[in-house]
Amino acid sequence: MNSSYLFSILATASIFTLLALSLNIITGYAGQAMMGIAAFFGIGAYTAAIITTHDGNFLLALLAAMIVSGVFGAVLGVISLRLQADFLAITTIGINFVMAAVFNSLKITGGTLGLTTSKPVIFGLKMNNMYFFIFTTILIVIVCLLITKMRHSWFGMALASIENDPGAARSFGINVSKYQILAFIIGTALAGLTGGIYSHRMGFISSTDFAFVVSIQIVSMCVIGGLGTLRGPIFGAVVLTVLPEVLRFADNYRELVYALLLVIMVRFMPEGLLGDDSPVWKFLVGLFRKIKPRKKTRADLIAEKAKAGEYELSGEGGQA
Amino acid sequence: MKKFLSILLILCMVFMFAACGGETNEGGEEGGGEAALPEVIKIGFFAPVSAPSAAADGLSSLNSAKLAVKLINENGGINGSTVELVDMDDGLDTTEAANIAEKLAYDDSVVAVVSGSYSGPTKVAAPIFQEAGKLMVSAYAVHPDVVNAGDLIFSQSFPGKLQGTAAAIYANDTLKAKKIAIISVDLDFGATQIEAFKAQLEKMGSDAEIVYEQAIAISDSDMSSAVTAAAAAGADLIYSVNYYEQAAQVLREVGQKGLDIPVLGTEGADSFELLNIAGEYANGLYITTNMNRDDQNAETQAYIENYEAEYGIQPDMVGASVYDAFQVLFAAMKEVGVDTQAMRDYIAGMQNFDTVTGTLIRYNEDGSAVKPVQIQLVTNGEYHSAGVIDDMEVIDPANYQ
Amino acid sequence: MFTQQLMNALAIGSVYALTAMGATLIYGILGILDIANAGAYLIGAYLGWYIYYGTGSIVLAFVLSIVAVGILGILIQKFIYSPILAKPNTLSIIPLVAAVGLFTMSSDLVRLICGPYSLSYNFDFGVTSIKIGPVVLVPAWILIFALTAVLLLILWIILNKTKLGLAWRATANDPEIAKVCGVNTNNAMALSYILGYGFAAAAGIMVGILYNSITPALGEVPSYKMLAIIVLGGLGNPLGTVLAGLIIGFTEVFLSAYTSIPIPKDAIAFVVLIIMLLIKPEGLLGQKNKI
Repeated sequence: MNSSYLFSILATASIFTLLALSLNIITGYAGQAMMGIAAFFGIGAYTAAIITTHDGNFLLALLAAMIVSGVFGAVLGVISLRLQADFLAITTIGINFVMAAVFNSLKITGGTLGLTTSKPVIFGLKMNNMYFFIFTTILIVIVCLLITKMRHSWFGMALASIENDPGAARSFGINVSKYQILAFIIGTALAGLTGGIYSHRMGFISSTDFAFVVSIQIVSMCVIGGLGTLRGPIFGAVVLTVLPEVLRFADNYRELVYALLLVIMVRFMPEGLLGDDSPVWKFLVGLFRKIKPRKKTRADLIAEKAKAGEYELSGEGGQA
Repeated sequence: MKKFLSILLILCMVFMFAACGGETNEGGEEGGGEAALPEVIKIGFFAPVSAPSAAADGLSSLNSAKLAVKLINENGGINGSTVELVDMDDGLDTTEAANIAEKLAYDDSVVAVVSGSYSGPTKVAAPIFQEAGKLMVSAYAVHPDVVNAGDLIFSQSFPGKLQGTAAAIYANDTLKAKKIAIISVDLDFGATQIEAFKAQLEKMGSDAEIVYEQAIAISDSDMSSAVTAAAAAGADLIYSVNYYEQAAQVLREVGQKGLDIPVLGTEGADSFELLNIAGEYANGLYITTNMNRDDQNAETQAYIENYEAEYGIQPDMVGASVYDAFQVLFAAMKEVGVDTQAMRDYIAGMQNFDTVTGTLIRYNEDGSAVKPVQIQLVTNGEYHSAGVIDDMEVIDPANYQ
Repeated sequence: MFTQQLMNALAIGSVYALTAMGATLIYGILGILDIANAGAYLIGAYLGWYIYYGTGSIVLAFVLSIVAVGILGILIQKFIYSPILAKPNTLSIIPLVAAVGLFTMSSDLVRLICGPYSLSYNFDFGVTSIKIGPVVLVPAWILIFALTAVLLLILWIILNKTKLGLAWRATANDPEIAKVCGVNTNNAMALSYILGYGFAAAAGIMVGILYNSITPALGEVPSYKMLAIIVLGGLGNPLGTVLAGLIIGFTEVFLSAYTSIPIPKDAIAFVVLIIMLLIKPEGLLGQKNKI
């Protein structure tokens, strides 16, 4: 295996990881059925490509990609308040198709011919696959740190409560609308940023790169890894990008094996391979604990208390 | 969490070092070896074999690539060296195409590459090969910018604009069309051809007018509304810039509705699949293409015969184009060996090279082929020659920049 | 031209209605957006082709293919969807991912087994076209109209005149209450899948005859377009689906006939859908009305 090939795969894997993380904010943390993330990926990709082909700075182009995509995301967020789960899923699928059609027909997006980008230069470095991989990985680390922080903030708690039960969240005085829209903005802005990186790493984009199948692919990554966790989408994105290359020896049967694995996974582990409730994850955690027993965290204590509480509760239930 | 992130970072570092190590190793293995031909000459190849929507063209491409390699080896190889095909499936996915391109471009045993894929994958792969210093011949990708990636990229088929121009000349001069309806596929294939078609009509001062125009998504098989509207607009010619599936549906619509409007198609309709789907309604279809099945040229007849014998089906334009891309490479290797620069110079200087898809007059400076445009007419369920447009004014891509 | 376009629209609308009916019936009971239904459509078309070429009888092709694909439907429901849905707190997109996997598998299996090239029914109606005044009718359309009517009638009889149909309607209305009242909801689910996949198979053969071409990519367009149609029709409402199919058919035909705005047909269905959802978020006929 030569290094260019390896870095090409790694660059793709890191880009899809970032994209999967963006979807995870909307679908995993806020629980909104987003099936059209590729539309926002595309908005970012085209925005950044248009700017750099007009001699704009690459980093500024990425910023613009985030903003434009986030603005569209805010509109979708507002719309999402009106729609329940399946309707939202279909609406976002629809948005994906409409945006792909728009990319394919606007003059500024190059129409059917798409847009050709040149490799950007950051701090004097001409970006190749290795630099794109490093750049994106740094972004992934930053995003992960921010998400971890967010999860422990008021915003994260609010999102979790919305995901569990929007009605109850509302009755606790949480402004559900505000947080839900915010989740859409953050998620889509991140998708836009990823798109900006993607269009420059590929050198050429056309509307088919942002088709519905891409959205499905990203959803699959999150679901296979485990929605609503950080490790899940990362794991899923890496596996689903690397798998087709690993299966290259069986060119003709790749799609079939890929699809079969998808079905088996979802059938036997709908919570994802590394989801919180997944037996694989529990096993791994158990293994880790055995090797290095650790201090009881607050979460463990709460869990223990809850267990104790459960006994009391069931006791009361018995009397009634 | 922090632990997890640091592990992630460390993993990345390890990957990088491992990769860099790999690079230096490989650089050392191959070194000289320019003078003599290697015992086994490897030629890279990619086509969309596993994507259900593109697999028909993918398989035609792969079949032809295998046939080309098999025949050259049966006939003594390249000056005694055997040719080996390194075939890859791009699944019609540009990110996969980028991976494959990196793999082939930096594999030192692969001496040149043929693209048997569509515009998207080929367009993404071209700059990668250019940068790696590897020669690529694109068989049938129509995107006009493929060849602009650099001097190592050639296109074996003529540009879409040229075909549109030839179609306009034929529609005006021979078919005497006055009211033309355009039904085209909403892709670069359609867009480039109709643009050139309209420009040429204007340039010629033709009195033909465009009475109806509709771009149709590649996924759509329903042509009833477009054909009905074209007929209602009084069209006396339908210019169908579609691939075979949709072109066949246009023909079926015209035939079943009993409309007496001739249809002019493109190389996209040059497939046995069209004849199967449209059946009797295919008769009377004109197409602009590069393959002349009536050509008594030994190359063409041998290819058709061999392909049918090997696979039991007829070859199509896509397959023939791939076969020719290999013939171009074989010819260069026989003369100048496998050095990239030598091959490049040889191919750039090729003149009047006989291929299955017509005489390759020469390559234009940008790397696109200069070829006469064949007009074929379907009669009795077979493609037959109905003319050729070989005016250098028209077919020289230099005139379309 | 207007009447001709009207007929064109009616034909394509019926095709859409027929194609989306299977997914509607499944959504009505299980609440799954079953993209894999397009796989049933694809497999149905191919099975039908082999049966037609093996026996020479198109009726046999329809009947056997519907039955075989219907059985396949029950197996998929029993062994794949039911276990997924049985787990608590399943997000609605999880069965959707399973459906996408199943659909991809079906397309790829067909490609590997039957080859990537198109197959043609070459079904001979005996006449090429029927002229009524200025309007030309293609015989395949008459078959489509007839088939749509017959299948809808059968559906209506099953749902309204049989005990199983009563169970289906009860389950569609409220599965919990139905269960409490002693309705065998498992049977209702099985019925959904037989009918849902059977309908898809019939639609696949129909479209194969209409366009005289089936390829492994046959299911790609229906896989998403039918989602737009069933939602427009009010998710799980068979009558709404027919109406929605016709609306999409008419919009597509008339937009392409009288305008040249560059919206591909794929997008039209979704534009119509999004506009409607913004105005009337519960779907065209509301949810789960009866046929």
